Amino acid sequence: MSIKTFKGGIHPPVRKEASEGKAIERIPAPKQVVIPINQHFGAPNQSIVAVGDTVRRGQKIAEGKAGGPMTVPVHASITGTVKKIEVRAQSNNTDGICVIIETDPAAAEDSSSDAFMQPLDGFSCTKDEALARIREAGIVGMGGAGFPAHVKLAPPPNKPIDLVIANGAECEPYLTIDEATLDEEGPTVVEGLAIVMRIVGVKKGVIAIEENKKGAVAGLNAAIASSGRGYDITVQLLKTKYPQGGEKMLITAITGKEVPSGGLPMDAGCVVQNVGTLKAIAEAFSEGKPLIERGLTVTGGACKTPKNILAPIGTVIGDLPAEVLDLDRDTLRKIVFGGPMMGVAVPHLNIPVQKNTSGVTFMTAAETVAKEEGPCIRCARCLRGCSCRLSPVLMNNALESGDLERAADIGLLDCIECGGCSYICPSNIQLVQRFRVGKQLLRAKRAAAQPKPAAPAKAQA
Amino acid sequence: MANTERRVLLSSSPHFSSPETAKRLMANVLIALAPAAAYGIALFGLPALLTIAVSVAAALASDAAFRLAIGQKPRVADLSAALTGVLLALVLPPSTPLWMTALGAVFAVVVAKEFFGGLGANVFNPALIGRAFLIMSFPAAITTWHKTVGFAGALTDATTTATPLNIIKLGGTMGDVAASVGSSDYASTLWTLFTGNRAGCIGESSILLILAGGAFLLITRTIDWRAPLAMIATTFLASWGFGMDPVFGILSGGVVFGAVFMATDYVSAPVTPTGKLLFGAGAGLVTALIRKWGGYPEGVTYGILMMNAIAPFLNRIVQKKYGWVAPKKEAAK
Repeated sequence: MSIKTFKGGIHPPVRKEASEGKAIERIPAPKQVVIPINQHFGAPNQSIVAVGDTVRRGQKIAEGKAGGPMTVPVHASITGTVKKIEVRAQSNNTDGICVIIETDPAAAEDSSSDAFMQPLDGFSCTKDEALARIREAGIVGMGGAGFPAHVKLAPPPNKPIDLVIANGAECEPYLTIDEATLDEEGPTVVEGLAIVMRIVGVKKGVIAIEENKKGAVAGLNAAIASSGRGYDITVQLLKTKYPQGGEKMLITAITGKEVPSGGLPMDAGCVVQNVGTLKAIAEAFSEGKPLIERGLTVTGGACKTPKNILAPIGTVIGDLPAEVLDLDRDTLRKIVFGGPMMGVAVPHLNIPVQKNTSGVTFMTAAETVAKEEGPCIRCARCLRGCSCRLSPVLMNNALESGDLERAADIGLLDCIECGGCSYICPSNIQLVQRFRVGKQLLRAKRAAAQPKPAAPAKAQA
Repeated sequence: MANTERRVLLSSSPHFSSPETAKRLMANVLIALAPAAAYGIALFGLPALLTIAVSVAAALASDAAFRLAIGQKPRVADLSAALTGVLLALVLPPSTPLWMTALGAVFAVVVAKEFFGGLGANVFNPALIGRAFLIMSFPAAITTWHKTVGFAGALTDATTTATPLNIIKLGGTMGDVAASVGSSDYASTLWTLFTGNRAGCIGESSILLILAGGAFLLITRTIDWRAPLAMIATTFLASWGFGMDPVFGILSGGVVFGAVFMATDYVSAPVTPTGKLLFGAGAGLVTALIRKWGGYPEGVTYGILMMNAIAPFLNRIVQKKYGWVAPKKEAAK
């Protein structure tokens, strides 16, 4: 099988050995969960339960009242009583409204109390019904971004889609949950992929995985052969390189096409979904199960129990019992939600697993060396490492001199924030951090320069 | 203290980084220079060794002294000043008086680098500025050349000679060059020039060893191939076009040394791929122009320094970013 890839990128240490090949372990039912009511892009949700309410596992607890196209509801992940609705720390290091549910021990072992939707045949229902099901199940991209899944699957008619890619590249170091999902749930992922292909009306699908997960290929091929849905699905190996799993890099590696600047994968005729998301989609149809639990990797040098776990959404990391998660608190230096390249460092363990939490990496001081920034020696390594052919050093120079438009010309808004430039910089300059700030400054400046919506009408009158 | 050690850190991603450091990259260049430097010492003896030692010592001392004087932490350990010292020494004649060498190194580090803001901020290649300063200040001393005498030999009046480029500049023929390097025919003259047993700067003579150093830098991905290749190719083509012997042009002077070690200087060269190509090509062209019509027999120093001056403009030519789309033309109204 040919191995495809993109140009540029970096080769960070992979460090997946600790949790690789370990079965996904379902954690004991937590005593309480803390569920942020906003776990998606788009208009904010409102809580539709009150303190004291009894909620059942799978019951909707928050949704967008205005019903904007991007809003996605949130569901109770355990059966129990709503104890509090209050602002708590979230995994992206912001505070947000969370619904805190305390378990009903009697119901914990009894799945008959679940409030799932009716199963739905994803191949005989209408496409609108299928899209509504995915949205009602609260499914967002589980690879990290949290983009609503149904939005990706409903491109406007002028954007024909010819390929669906199941993203199992998992280029982020340390994390192994996508690989474990492919190993254990291959048929479910293939079923989810077939449902998605049916919704967007394409015949061709690709399951993309990095070369270092070659072991999953045989199982996937068997799952495809026995799927019987009649879709052309193949497994494609990709070079192990970061950020191979970025949507743009994935599309370019597989199709040779590039997503136009400012565009979405649909502009290149592609729909990309993480393999975990596809599993959740398949279950939303076959079991009527909303997105109330997910697999994630707990790993890192300060984690004595690196493994893949299946946890209800809202499980607070600090509540995990020692047999599930045991930390070496003396060496723990950084708690990262996600992997080391794009994950978010958080200040404490009192933070819940969310829909987009693909892992939590507990890093030691030796793993996450805090280095002082040196002067830029203009070695141009950041140009070589950039997966988007930008010139990070020049963008940084432009930002330092306050020339936002020059930075935009080089491609500030095209930066996918993969962190490759910061990683590779021999002077440890925090390039991507500056680009994040620069993007916000540029967007604010452009928004300020926009005429007020009412102004042109007045001018005409 | 235990408390501080145990604190959990917060920072923006990424949360780990490549072990590559600026110091390591500088060390790579020093390693790559070692064969050419050792060969220079073997050809010209103690004066060459002393020139290198004095140049490095003066560069390090002036770097530390200047930074202390302006209240900054000395950066001697980053090897940047040491590298400037070695590079300067290797582009000087072995007979350069040691006080001149020291003065050149001080000028290179203090004026060409620290005055502009230190490491990473200089516009011009410090070593070449040091050399240019010495050529203009002491033209006689910096253009006095000696025959190779071996490590034990002595550089005396009796052993002065002209460099191959000088011979041609003054109207000599390839036969005169052959005589000066002690070979009989054209092919063996070129071979001698390639291996390096000839009069010239300490580190510039052996093309073979310089290319070996260049190969090491390419393999370790310390340098990019574009600027050196463009510079050598352009010098070759331009020399040919101007009616000079192109092979001789490449093998005789400092083109290869300049291309491999000076045109690849991170700070003073452009960072973009196209910029690097144009930078090398421009340096090669100016070198050939100076050799043909200029007052100096050699033009590498000024070729590279002139391109240093326009490097910021070459940096305007950025790569086409991922997903680049041609800007739509405004519809005619």
